[in-house]
Amino acid sequence: MIWIAIRMLTGDPQKFFGLVFGIAFSTLLITQQLTIFVNLLERGASGVYNVSSADVWVMDPVSRTTDVAYAMPSTALDKVRGVPGVEWAVPHIRANASVRTKDGDLEGVAVIGVDDATLIGLPKNMVEGSVDVLSQPDSVIIDDVGTTRMFPDASPIGERLELNDQRAVIRGIADAIPSFTSTVVLYTKYSNALNFVPGTRNRLSFVLVGKADGLTSQELVDRIEAETGLRARTREQFARDGVDFIIENTGIPLNFGITVALGFIVGVAIVGLTFSLFIRDNIKQFGALKAIGVTNGTIRRMVAAQAGLVGLIGYGLGVLGTVGFIYAFSANPTFKGFYIPWQIPLISLVAVTLILALTGWLALRNVLKTEPASVFR
Amino acid sequence: MSGPAISTRGVTRDFKAGQQTITVLHGIDLDVKAGELTFLVGESGSGKTTLISIMCGILWPTLGEVEVFGTDIYDLSDDDLVEFRLQNIGFIFQQYNLIPSIDAASNAAVPLIAQGMDRHEARKRAVAMLEKLNIGDQAGKLPNQLSGGQQQRVAIARALVHEPRLVVCDEPTAALDAASGRRVMDLLREVAVAEDRACIIVTHDNRIFDMADRILVLEDGKVTHDGKHMPEDH
Amino acid sequence: MAFDIRNLSFTRQILPVIAVLGLVIAAFFILSGQPDRELSEPDREPPRAPEALANAARVAGSGVVEPSSEVVQVGSALSGLVTGLFVEPGDRVSEGQTLFTVDARQARAQLREAEAAVREAQAAIAEARSAQATASSQLALYRNVSDPAAVSRSEVIRAEGEASAAAERLRLARARYEAAQARAASARTEIGRLTITAPIAGEILAVNIRKGEYVSTMGGGGAQPFIEMGQTQPMHVRIDIDEEQAPRLALGEPATVSPRGAAGQQVQATFVRAEPRVVPKRSLTNSAAERVDVRVLQLIYELPASATGDGGIFRVGQQVDAYIPAKKGQ
Repeated sequence: MIWIAIRMLTGDPQKFFGLVFGIAFSTLLITQQLTIFVNLLERGASGVYNVSSADVWVMDPVSRTTDVAYAMPSTALDKVRGVPGVEWAVPHIRANASVRTKDGDLEGVAVIGVDDATLIGLPKNMVEGSVDVLSQPDSVIIDDVGTTRMFPDASPIGERLELNDQRAVIRGIADAIPSFTSTVVLYTKYSNALNFVPGTRNRLSFVLVGKADGLTSQELVDRIEAETGLRARTREQFARDGVDFIIENTGIPLNFGITVALGFIVGVAIVGLTFSLFIRDNIKQFGALKAIGVTNGTIRRMVAAQAGLVGLIGYGLGVLGTVGFIYAFSANPTFKGFYIPWQIPLISLVAVTLILALTGWLALRNVLKTEPASVFR
Repeated sequence: MSGPAISTRGVTRDFKAGQQTITVLHGIDLDVKAGELTFLVGESGSGKTTLISIMCGILWPTLGEVEVFGTDIYDLSDDDLVEFRLQNIGFIFQQYNLIPSIDAASNAAVPLIAQGMDRHEARKRAVAMLEKLNIGDQAGKLPNQLSGGQQQRVAIARALVHEPRLVVCDEPTAALDAASGRRVMDLLREVAVAEDRACIIVTHDNRIFDMADRILVLEDGKVTHDGKHMPEDH
Repeated sequence: MAFDIRNLSFTRQILPVIAVLGLVIAAFFILSGQPDRELSEPDREPPRAPEALANAARVAGSGVVEPSSEVVQVGSALSGLVTGLFVEPGDRVSEGQTLFTVDARQARAQLREAEAAVREAQAAIAEARSAQATASSQLALYRNVSDPAAVSRSEVIRAEGEASAAAERLRLARARYEAAQARAASARTEIGRLTITAPIAGEILAVNIRKGEYVSTMGGGGAQPFIEMGQTQPMHVRIDIDEEQAPRLALGEPATVSPRGAAGQQVQATFVRAEPRVVPKRSLTNSAAERVDVRVLQLIYELPASATGDGGIFRVGQQVDAYIPAKKGQ
């Protein structure tokens, strides 16, 4: 009977493709918009994720994210180092500066100063050059998205910049996830960064901490907070803070939420209407089947099979479309680092299942309500 | 064959229409024998559709009992009743109600498939039945590629393919001219009437009354005539 | 038989296959595209707490390596041109060894002048002495004449006057001689002061003058010292401890010290003393606008001899990271 159900479904190509299109469109809209949404939000955490070796971030109690940070006195580093369970701790400075480009334009940049000796705080990978170039005087490493913004045509290697009246020479390109605002990022040594950024009394933005074996990051965070009075966050917590900051301070969640809801509603509307039409067209056949001796259970299975096939094809095409979209735009710097979190296809699968369950149930109600006796009228 | 194929005892059926209750059938008692072509005749609104629905187990009577081949069908559970219909009753609907997206053989095979038979085996049997009905060469065509008469034969094949003991046929000649109607009736008599099979034809087509073995006339929910021929006043 | 089931159907067979293939491709793409957020070990060794203190109460600080004598900035008492330079950075010198000399020609001329005056005074003394002898013998002659008429009274008076004047002249000549002597000694001292010697035994750390340069006693605000030296055997480190952390310190315990950039090479340094004053933190950022609000306790530790010297890893002025045990129960 399932075979008959599938035949009934595909026997009407317009409605079949209408259903598949509805599901595929919903899947595409939900998956793609959620993907962009999640990736945009995670831009808020890129500063944390770009530093691959720190278990814990320590900051002033009022600091909120990597970009909203209040500087600490330099002895904070030693305070943190004095906490048992801290395997190592290095200073980290993040500050904003203005740089004058060759064209004379002013470009806001983020200057990130990493520990002079260990270079902890640099992104894991380099696009060009090696991290060792920082040992040369006045060296900075630019991030790859910054390259496309400041030097769209030529290689930035060897370019001179003017930062706070100081000379800075670009000697490398880092492979980093851009921030939410896609600010150009210049990585340099901590000591250089102090010169590149107009100074205030305290300069140390963060202390990056590696934990000793035998305790969790959370335990270390609690210990650091208790002993130093500074604010400590695990890597995951701090990444989450960055995301929350964007959620709280932008309209992104609302906008994307609306789009995703629209995707869902459009899916329900298209699929629901088409499914209802399809069932209504076939209501006599269903009635005949019921009279001949097909149980309601079998009818349910038949409709479920029809919904399942539509769902499989529509969902498959929708997810494939999203993957194609992300793949096609992966070369675009705006989409750098975009990925599809594995949870999102599952969410859209749930949404598709909901759409089909809802519309299938509505359509089934008509079939189940049909009296077999109606076939004699 | 002992006993009647179908026997109804005191079958009464009420319909609610708003505040009013309309009684369509008033305590019908009748027996239908196997091996006969039984006509159920009546004007619109006489209750013949209600009666035939109740007799073949797709409409519950308000009162009374229906026994089909010795089984009190309204004593069965819902699913058992469905199964009973699937095993024992063949339907030929006035509109045929063929599934448009599967070919003639598959349409004819639907009862077998519903019984759980393998699809290819069911098709084989359905093709055999279509051949018996002289449309074996149309087995691979979709219903809308067939003429009306051919579609009706597919519907007949579907009603008979699982060899039911009761065949119910709703207005088989309504859409046909006199000659075609008679041919269909001949065909039905040839293939549907058998020793242990009852065949009930619901009709008000007076052109074919002479082909009946027994005519039951229903008026205002009561059987007013029961005999081989129509009464004179019709 | 267009709808025979053996025929391939786009909607029933091809599309579902495409969908399933698409899902497989998508699953592969999605799972392989998950971002790399694995934690990694740092490439270069960061300073770590020593194993003994890894999970124990401890205080961390940073500091600078310095000679045990602290750095002596050798100056010059007199200004002038540098005429001789006798040491190079890294030389070990003993106390009193000449480091450099300043132009002494003028002082030497004065010395020669004074020496000439001495000789002149000596001659004057001799002359005065002979004049006095002549005058005395004449007076004695007159006094021995018994006949008063033979020598007039006036003659005697004149002879007495001459003798007295000769004696005065001798005293004057002696005084001149002493003055000339004193001038010569002064010139010699001056020459000595133009030779700068090592105030202590130690190692020359920096030489900021070259022959022919003018050294000024004024020193000039912010000018570099001429020569920096210090006792580098043993070597000390001066470690800054945040005043808030200071009460936790277990004073007297050895500190674990590693140089910046070579965090793996930790040594044990023995406690020397804590500075009596808590001082404002001297930040090493070189920023002219540096202001401070943090005060630090400075602790002095002695580095082991094996870690210093020519083959050692610690050099004067180097920044270090240090871990010091805290008091038990803190």
